[in-house]
Amino acid sequence: MNLVVSAIGQGLLWALLGLGLYLTFRILNFADMTVEGTFPLGAATAVTAITHGVNPLLATMMACGVGVVAGLITGLLYTKGKIPSLLAGILVMTAAYSINLRIMGKSNISLLNQKTLFSSKFLSSLPQYFDSVLVGMVVIFIFTIVMIFVLNTDWGQAFIATGDNRQMAKSLGIKTDRMVIMGLMISNGIVGVCGALIAQSNGYADINMGIGTIVIALASIIIGEVLFGELTLPQRLVAVALGSIIYRLLLLVVLQLGFKADDLNLLSSIVLALCMLLPQLEKHLRVKNTIVKGVTRHE
Amino acid sequence: MKRMLAVISALVIFLGIAFFNESGENSKSQSMARVGVLTLMHHPALDQIQEGFTKGMKEEGYVNGKNVLIDYQNAQGDQSNLKTMAAKLVDEKSDVLFGITTPASQSLANLTKKIPVVMGAVTDPKSAGLVTNYEHPGSNITGVSNMSPIKDQLKLIKEFMPDLKTLGVIYTSSDSSATAEYKQIVKIAAEQKVPIKVYSISNSNDLNQVSQEMLQKVDAVMVPQDNVIAGAMQTLVKNADAVNKPIFPAVDTMVKQGGVAAYGINQFKLGLLGGHLTASILKGKNKPATTAIRYVKHGEAVLNLKQAQKLGLKVPTRFLQEATKEGKVFK
Repeated sequence: MNLVVSAIGQGLLWALLGLGLYLTFRILNFADMTVEGTFPLGAATAVTAITHGVNPLLATMMACGVGVVAGLITGLLYTKGKIPSLLAGILVMTAAYSINLRIMGKSNISLLNQKTLFSSKFLSSLPQYFDSVLVGMVVIFIFTIVMIFVLNTDWGQAFIATGDNRQMAKSLGIKTDRMVIMGLMISNGIVGVCGALIAQSNGYADINMGIGTIVIALASIIIGEVLFGELTLPQRLVAVALGSIIYRLLLLVVLQLGFKADDLNLLSSIVLALCMLLPQLEKHLRVKNTIVKGVTRHE
Repeated sequence: MKRMLAVISALVIFLGIAFFNESGENSKSQSMARVGVLTLMHHPALDQIQEGFTKGMKEEGYVNGKNVLIDYQNAQGDQSNLKTMAAKLVDEKSDVLFGITTPASQSLANLTKKIPVVMGAVTDPKSAGLVTNYEHPGSNITGVSNMSPIKDQLKLIKEFMPDLKTLGVIYTSSDSSATAEYKQIVKIAAEQKVPIKVYSISNSNDLNQVSQEMLQKVDAVMVPQDNVIAGAMQTLVKNADAVNKPIFPAVDTMVKQGGVAAYGINQFKLGLLGGHLTASILKGKNKPATTAIRYVKHGEAVLNLKQAQKLGLKVPTRFLQEATKEGKVFK
């Protein structure tokens, strides 16, 4: 039971990554590789700040700030520099690696015995693993509400229009370049916060912790979409968070089934592939059903 | 939408039950001791530590499946897996936890203050924040460190090259053990008055250019325990051979690939030491709080005779004897 609680807690914390990527990947249609750099960037900034005595909440905000800057650079490279989106992201991601090393001064910093967002008296008095559940819930709640609100403003509608059809948006007088840049800034700011939270929950920041993060974010988005089908935009954001939790639970199941640890990557890929194949399979089966029904009716 | 509400309510109900049902389960009696092993990824050196660990446990009378359950978890390089796996090991009420690599040990240490955590191969436990004192760790953490015998290595280099003017040190700045060792090298080299010049790379693709640059300015090269350079050793050897300069690495595999000589740490022995330590804690003989961090005391003498002859180096007789008798000689 404890393990499931732990998985839910982690799912909630990682959900922030999915929410951040949702803005660029789904709404703007921009595969943003910057994320793999901004995630450890947020972690490095927050952890370094905390070890220098900065208040954990402030340190997390600083992580947001550096994420925003990274997104800004990707945005400028893409819009003003006309560098293809994938490449712009990869450039910033690569640069972030060196910057992370500069920030941390070494490749790994520990938070053991330091004050973090998770070490308040109230949180440590909760049952085991409920600290990340609670922090995750609060954070996800705040971010989802703010995102829903922002996306419903005039600016948000213009932002969505930019993603839907850039030509049309431009013809309506929307400054699409600015929309893309701001989208990337917000998205990477959120990812920076996620990095800061995960590092504080794990107790360390490591230079290589960004590897594979984009897969985790995509998994949350895709699982959420597949499981819950047609939804309104606010509901979709909730679905991303649920997708992230379900992904963690699936990994836990794989681990609990006692598979050899060596097969983990293969198994998580299979789980994801199955999720993505589900709509196709369903469609296929439904088509068959109607054919069968049609045939019997004719007889 | 219905499905979503169902999932949300299921999660909330579950969390509600879990909240009040804290530690209701897990009271199952255990007949066998449990040991959890957590490693970051597959890597020749890390795998050897794990093999050594299993052997070390065996030597102390613990055989997996017979009188102890050893649960090996491997995060496959993805650090987001470490926490789930560490939680699984803690939740299974392991009696002792063994972490291979720094992030793995940190993940374990972060989850439990009660279960003893044995670090396997953390080069610099202090800067990793795991312990504050090497002699009396004081909490639930102790272990073995893989810091190379740097004093011996520097002495060895001076024996090989009495006229050494500048020693080049090259390491990967993103490799935590390499960085920790490079700092030690700087310190000890200053004590022993060996003039050094330090070069760093951020990944293996930098090695070719940086090492060419370095080799123009130094008489010999020293390499710490560095996973990235170990993987790209051939590049460094090729460049050093071109200008006839020797390389003194810290690991036997790097000597085999074209280094000259080393006092290296045998990774298997390191794991062995970790296995012994884990077993003694399991038996209740040692408590982590009062057990000093252990090191492989004396490095293993490893010599590449062929390379030394090719470079026209005179091998110190003392070292040749030691390597032939107790260490390894590649001919």
